[in-house]
Amino acid sequence: MIEVTGLRVILPPDTRALDGVDLSIRAGEFVVILGSSGAGKTTFLRCLNRLVEPTAGIVRINGRAVTGATPPALRAARREIGMVFQQFNLARRLSVLDNVLTGRLGYAPALASLAGRFPPRDRALARECLGQVGLAHLAERRADTLSGGEQQRVAIARALAQSPAVILADEPTASLDPALTDTIMGTLRRINAERGLTLVVSQHQLATALEYATRIVGFRAGRVVFDGRATDVTPAVVARIYGTMEL
Amino acid sequence: MRRASAFVALLALAWAAWDTGADPARLLRGLPWLLDFVRRMLPPDLRVLPAALAGAVTTVEIALLGTAVAAVLALPLGFLSARNVAAPPIFRVARAALNFFRSVDTLVYALVFVAAVGLGPFPGVLAVIAYTTTSLAKLYSEAIEGIERGPVDAITATGATRAQVLRYGVLPQVLPLFLSYVLYRLETNIRAATVLGFVGAGGIGFYLQTYLRMIDYRAASTVLLVTVVMVVVVDFVSSRLRQRLV
Repeated sequence: MIEVTGLRVILPPDTRALDGVDLSIRAGEFVVILGSSGAGKTTFLRCLNRLVEPTAGIVRINGRAVTGATPPALRAARREIGMVFQQFNLARRLSVLDNVLTGRLGYAPALASLAGRFPPRDRALARECLGQVGLAHLAERRADTLSGGEQQRVAIARALAQSPAVILADEPTASLDPALTDTIMGTLRRINAERGLTLVVSQHQLATALEYATRIVGFRAGRVVFDGRATDVTPAVVARIYGTMEL
Repeated sequence: MRRASAFVALLALAWAAWDTGADPARLLRGLPWLLDFVRRMLPPDLRVLPAALAGAVTTVEIALLGTAVAAVLALPLGFLSARNVAAPPIFRVARAALNFFRSVDTLVYALVFVAAVGLGPFPGVLAVIAYTTTSLAKLYSEAIEGIERGPVDAITATGATRAQVLRYGVLPQVLPLFLSYVLYRLETNIRAATVLGFVGAGGIGFYLQTYLRMIDYRAASTVLLVTVVMVVVVDFVSSRLRQRLV
């Protein structure tokens, strides 16, 4: 599903944000990326849909080349890759439903979408996605009137509206009340289980990562230092990832 | 360093005061004439009220039409001169053009357009468009440069085209600001349009200038009163609308 080979990102002048990452993720996996801040988790996720331009390396997702793709090919690849952000990144002044509809932009007729019109089929799908995150009743509300946890679920619905093969989530619970962590991670797990969607989620909370992941990938200083099942994460592994023994 | 700049600033101000003949004593000596001027303006001659009101309506029309057209024309210019949207060469050319055209005031544009298309409100409208387009484009571009990156990333990640990213990632963030700037410009354009009549570009300024020239100060004071009421009303309505935009 996701094939990453020799991925490097060098930020000027010579910070190695990613320093040669090779990773292969199969369809339906729930992968959690662990690592302290600055380890390269965000950069890695953003390379997968080229929000960050890799300096070198190859990314293939769902059979499509992401690296080296022409702009139209990149857009075609991106619409199959949903992304959820730490700060939700909704259009605050638009309605919840309109936010979810933006997930259809890659499929919608260009001119009509610029005029704010979407096919009835897309509208129905957007409502369905909102239902899946339990927010169908808030469809008409302005996005910024929702709580943080609700906004993040709208963002998940937006990603689902893309009918994606993969969802990338960059610290999706980091700016939320800890009590909401399970709601969001639980929603993601349900999507993973019910739809067989591949999930790649970065997390800085170790306990959460171990609870939800089918596979853990540990990053440190831009390199993969651990790759295995959650049950294989021993204190020694934690030390390798974080550089300390804290749990 | 700070002391040196303060010294230079003081020197410049002192020179400016001397060069312009700024003299409080002279103002005091002129005070009786000022009072005489005011006395001769009272009471306002209300017979000219219909003419003054017609002039006010024209002035509001000039400002409204000019601002509305400029608000639209400034849109592409605003995006082209925003650092985070336009490619660097385009951005630099657009910025330079904006700064060049913005350095000329509405009244100067009016002189040019009166010469080009003749007397009347139309050159006034053109003058308002010319100045407001560039000044709004500058404000637009600054609003665009101040947007949050996150929503833009989110829309980009859905596989949207550049136009779609602007429409759904950028526009919702800047639209309320744009509208607020347009209303603010409308307020300043009402003021600017009151003097457009002085150079033959229509509106209430024409009547003010005419009565002053005819030394009919009581008629001129009626025109002034109408001007004040017009400006206050437009400011009030506009600021009410702006509050709703937040």
